[in-house]
Amino acid sequence: MKKIFTVSFLLVAIALAGFSSQVAQAKGDDFGDVVKAIERFYQVKHKGLPFLAKAGIKATTTVARLAGGPKRQLAEAGSVKVAYFEDQEFDSRGRMVNFKASISAVLTEGWSPLVQVISPSDEQQTYVYLRSAGDKFNVLVVNIEKRDGSVVQVTLAPQTLAKLMQDPDEMGNTITTDATTNDNE
Amino acid sequence: MRSLYLTPLRIIAVAVFTVIGAASAMAQDPRIQTSQLDALTARASQTVDVNIDERVMRMTAGFLSGKDEDERKVKELINGLKGIYVRSFEFEKEDQYSQADLESIRAQLRNPAWNKIVNISSKKDGSLEVYLMSSESKISGLAVLATDAKEITVVNIVGPVDLEKLSALEGHFGVPDLGIEVKSGNKPENKPRSRKNEE
Repeated sequence: MKKIFTVSFLLVAIALAGFSSQVAQAKGDDFGDVVKAIERFYQVKHKGLPFLAKAGIKATTTVARLAGGPKRQLAEAGSVKVAYFEDQEFDSRGRMVNFKASISAVLTEGWSPLVQVISPSDEQQTYVYLRSAGDKFNVLVVNIEKRDGSVVQVTLAPQTLAKLMQDPDEMGNTITTDATTNDNE
Repeated sequence: MRSLYLTPLRIIAVAVFTVIGAASAMAQDPRIQTSQLDALTARASQTVDVNIDERVMRMTAGFLSGKDEDERKVKELINGLKGIYVRSFEFEKEDQYSQADLESIRAQLRNPAWNKIVNISSKKDGSLEVYLMSSESKISGLAVLATDAKEITVVNIVGPVDLEKLSALEGHFGVPDLGIEVKSGNKPENKPRSRKNEE
C-alpha cells in the first residue's frame, strides 16, 4: 500500500513539474520557442553559444560609425542569447510566408515585428522583433540563409536602439554580427 | 407595450451609429493596410518590411541627442510622428506584378480623406504618387506609392508630415530614396530612385 502511495505521489509530482515547466516556458522563453519553431519547420538542429554571452561582444564598424566612437558595445552586459545553425539545409520550398507565420505564432504578446527582409531566390530571411523590457528593450533577430541560420536575442538601452532605428534595414545584420563576434577575435 | 417596441429600436439605432462611427473612424485612419501585398513576396527577389509604430517612434525621438547636430535634425524630423511603415518589393524581371496587385492600396487611397498631391509618371523612371490626409486643417498622414517595372514601394507615414519632411526622411527609418526634391514653392520633382543600401 505504501509503495502504491509513493509511486502515485511520484507520478503526481512529475506531472506537476512538467506542467509548471510548460507554464514557465509559455510565459518567458520566447527565444527557445523560436529556436524550436525553426528546428521544426526546417528539420534542423541548433548549437548554443553560451560563451559568447560571457565573453561580451565586439562593436562593428557600423556601430562605431553610429556611435561616433572607436569601439562600443551594443547589448547590455550578459543579455545576449545566441543559437546558431551551421552547415544545414534551409529550404523553404516557397513557404517563407508560412515560416514567418510559425515564428509569429510562438512569440508571446508584447513582441512587435519591426523589420523583415526577405530574398526568396537566395533563401535569405531576416526578421527583427521588439518588445519593452522595463526601461530597456528586448530585440530578437532571426536570420536564415541557405546553409546557416541564427537566432539572437539582446537587451538594448533605449539610446542604442534609437541609433540603430535610423537604419532599420541593417539593424538585424548589425545586431547579429555584433552578438556573434568575440571581443578577442 | 410602447417600451417593448422602443427597446429593439434603440438597440438597432445604437448598432447603426456604432457601425457608422467605426466606418467613419476607419475612413479617417491614415494607416494603410498592406497585408494584401503579401502574395507578391514569393515572386519578388527581395522584400523589405519596416514597421515603426508610435511607441517606438516616441522612444526613438526621446533618446536622440539634442547636442549632436545630425541627431538633433532627425529628432526634429520625427517629432510628433506616430509611425513609419515601409514595404518594398524588388523583382528580377519585368512583368512580375500587375496593376491589379496594387488595387488594394489604390482602393484605400481613393477614399475622399486622401488627396493626391503628386502624380508623376514616366516610362524611364516609373510612377510616383503621393497622397496626404488632412483633418481640421492638420495633416494626419502621408502615403507614397512608387512603382517602376521591377520595383514597388509603399511608404506610409502617420502624423504631421509634409513633402519637405518626407524628402528629409529619405534614407532614414527605412524610408528609401524616393527621388523627391522639394524646391521653393513646395513643388516636387522626381529623380531616379534607389534604396539607401544599394549605394
